[in-house]
Amino acid sequence: MTEQHITEQQEIEHLMQREYKYGFTTDIEQDIIPPGLNEDVIRLISAKKNEPEFLLEWRLKAYRHWLTMTPPTWAHVHYPPIDYQALSYYAAPKTADELAEIEASKPQSLDEVDPKLLETYEKLGIPLHERAVLAGVVQPSNVAVDAVFDSVSVTTTFKAKLAEAGVIFCSFSEAVHNHPDLIKKYLGTVVPAGDNYYAALNSAVFSDGSFVFVPKGVRCPMELSTYFRINAKNTGQFERTLIVAEEGAHVSYLEGCTAPQRDENQLHAAVVELVALDDATIKYSTVQNWYPGDEEGKGGIYNFVTKRGDARGARSKITWTQVEAGSAITWKYPSCILRGDDSVGEFYSVAVSNNYQQVDSGTKMIHLGKRTRSTIVSKSISAGHSQNAYRGLVHIAKSADDARNYTQCDALLIGDRNGAHTFPYIEAKNSTAQIEHEATTSKISDDQIFYLQSRGISEENATNMIVNGFCKEVFNELPMEFAVEAQALLAVSLEGSVG
Amino acid sequence: MSRAPLPEWLVSTLDQQEPAAPGEIHTTARVQVVEWGLPTLRDEEWRWTNLRALTRPLPKPQQTATPEGSGLNAILPQAIFIRFAGGKLVECPGELPDGLRLTPLREADLDQRAAAFAPKAVTPNDALLALNTATAAEGLIIDIAANADIKPPIVLEFLDAPSETAAQTRVLVRCGPHSRATLIETATGADGVTSWRNSVLVAALAANSQLTHLSLGLDGDARLLTDRSFVTLARDARYRSINIQLGGQLVRREIDVNITDTGAHCDLFGLMMPRAKQVLDTHTRLTHGAAHTTSDERYQVIADESGRGIFKGRILVAQDAQKIEAYQSSRNLLLSDSAEIDTKPELEIYADDVKCSHGATIGRLDDEALYYLQSRGISTANARKLLIAGFAQEIVDLLVTPELVEWMGGIISRRLERQNAQ
Repeated sequence: MTEQHITEQQEIEHLMQREYKYGFTTDIEQDIIPPGLNEDVIRLISAKKNEPEFLLEWRLKAYRHWLTMTPPTWAHVHYPPIDYQALSYYAAPKTADELAEIEASKPQSLDEVDPKLLETYEKLGIPLHERAVLAGVVQPSNVAVDAVFDSVSVTTTFKAKLAEAGVIFCSFSEAVHNHPDLIKKYLGTVVPAGDNYYAALNSAVFSDGSFVFVPKGVRCPMELSTYFRINAKNTGQFERTLIVAEEGAHVSYLEGCTAPQRDENQLHAAVVELVALDDATIKYSTVQNWYPGDEEGKGGIYNFVTKRGDARGARSKITWTQVEAGSAITWKYPSCILRGDDSVGEFYSVAVSNNYQQVDSGTKMIHLGKRTRSTIVSKSISAGHSQNAYRGLVHIAKSADDARNYTQCDALLIGDRNGAHTFPYIEAKNSTAQIEHEATTSKISDDQIFYLQSRGISEENATNMIVNGFCKEVFNELPMEFAVEAQALLAVSLEGSVG
Repeated sequence: MSRAPLPEWLVSTLDQQEPAAPGEIHTTARVQVVEWGLPTLRDEEWRWTNLRALTRPLPKPQQTATPEGSGLNAILPQAIFIRFAGGKLVECPGELPDGLRLTPLREADLDQRAAAFAPKAVTPNDALLALNTATAAEGLIIDIAANADIKPPIVLEFLDAPSETAAQTRVLVRCGPHSRATLIETATGADGVTSWRNSVLVAALAANSQLTHLSLGLDGDARLLTDRSFVTLARDARYRSINIQLGGQLVRREIDVNITDTGAHCDLFGLMMPRAKQVLDTHTRLTHGAAHTTSDERYQVIADESGRGIFKGRILVAQDAQKIEAYQSSRNLLLSDSAEIDTKPELEIYADDVKCSHGATIGRLDDEALYYLQSRGISTANARKLLIAGFAQEIVDLLVTPELVEWMGGIISRRLERQNAQ
């Protein structure tokens, strides 16, 4: 073994031992309902949030339906059964007991903000000015952030600027109080309360989330963004997001997450509903970097998410872009129901898995309207002992004349102890449909690595370069600030997997 | 559970005949089939194919005449013909070329029967396999000796004669080292006559052996066929399956190929042409269990009228099975708005030094090609026929001999003409 080889080996070992960058917990007093789930807990959650009667009824209906369901087993993932009675279903920072109190207790300067909270933001890498904005002390720039600290939105920014444009962007609880009609009209219309096991659970116990409403003809003046954090021990996080874009409206929404390191598995069962009316466009981008568990596969987040967009109106467009790097298990299929004639659905995804992570992710494109079009570009990278599966459905209904789909699924394997899988379901009931699907699986070729190394680029950097090139089609779809973050995230996620 | 209990009429067939499966295998299957019942649309493996037709007893036979054969004897006069009628072995030639031995399942010894019933279900709760294991009494053991090159094709003609019960057949093909053979299975029946065959074929290919396996579903628009093949390939063995399904109201074929040693190669080619209310379904599962093995899979569906074509193909590359090349394509023509095509090409890969890809397309006839032909004075109907036949021909051309290619091409083109005339 040459000397150089030895140092490289050491370098790799060093990299492999590097700890999860975002692993930390913040000690803030929490208001937690004791673990367990029954109708009383749901009533308590609803009461704590001072919800109107219709929402409580909706929750209870969902809960009763959930009781009749069994967890899905078809996904290519393995985990011990979850004890839903051992989870706690509500956690809110002490200061957020009452929503009114939040408003009243908003800090006037950064000094008044809980230093622990600022510390959390710092570790998250939220830029300084944005941190101040989060605390409501500086004038907004051009990104609106609705930070979800555990389950209740701590602060919502940029309200004024958005209000001027007529855009509603607030926490879900606020929306329930201030815009009950809109909630009543759209809640559960895309993902019904009993849609699937985890969606039903979410519907019963959802804690908070974001609500966005862009009225007719309005182009949202800024990108909307939410940082999700799971912070309390043993609390499942049940976010619920609802985005409605009226006729001709346009909105781009960013969702990013990191989570503290801990041993016990945490369940996250979120629901995201998008509604696009005639000529509306919704772009939903996600960078997901929850704690994936340690090198032995211990711990990590269970990310069981239901995301669905309803392109209800003619010529509407829904785009999902995701970079999935974290979570021990990802079970997630952002989907588009292309109901309106000439509507468009897009799905761009990069899923990276390392160590013992398991990913079963993909999309569903349900073509109902005439001349509907969909594009699916899915890139998966598996390293370590991980399992990474694409599962997708393209369904062309009888009514969907001249529908068009293009699907591309590429898998990159790094190391020989992991798996890359593709399970595409393609169903066509209309003879004018045109569907194309292609998938490839390969590893980074030795030639490519050798070429780059011969130009003086280290193996690690060469791999990163190739991986970034592999994902470029998807990164191009990300908003600027996410694209940069995503590339860094990819490099961190694959650390220690080369060699 | 998503299972429907085993229909009464099937329960009553369980102990009608002395089963061929050895004691314990039979007992286990007998218990399983009752426990599992028939799969329903809620089963992942059956989400596109409904076995409703089997929940009621088959209609009483109106016709007793044995249907005509496939007509292959005129094309392949030298072939070795073995005939089953209604699942019963009715014709088995005595004079055979050197190196070929045929043993009816009824006369087979325990070892042979144990080998014929050895394969275990690949999918969960495989009730149809269990049903076959529990009830099959008829079948054949085909032994090809080491180094034997059996020139004439071995033809198994299944004449699906009307019957109130399901025909359960079990065939075992054992190819000795360095041997070579061609096996042709044909399925025919009379139009309007309902019959059901639930068959299993087990093929074991020893080192360096070659087997070409043609499965041709021909006449009989009311036939029901549920069939599966279990194939294992030893070192450097080559297996080629060509599956052409034209007739039958419901045909479900499952082809499981297990490549167990290096150097082996497998081809899986298929063509399904459902029309009227036909449901033609093929599921293939190909496992690359050893390094340095290759496979090529091509499936095409042409669905017209209210026909449904279903293809699900899985390629699994096991851990440490490096240097694999596997290609899979599913190309489909959807010709009518009442027709439906469902396809699911799957890759499941646990090794990294592999080249695996799959592609799937569903579309209609190319407008430009149609226009081109029409501009040359060819009628729309003829232009369509030409293009459809041309698409089908890509698979037909792979049939082993020119005679077979011409014969099958003729059948398909007559079928398209009949359709045009209607």
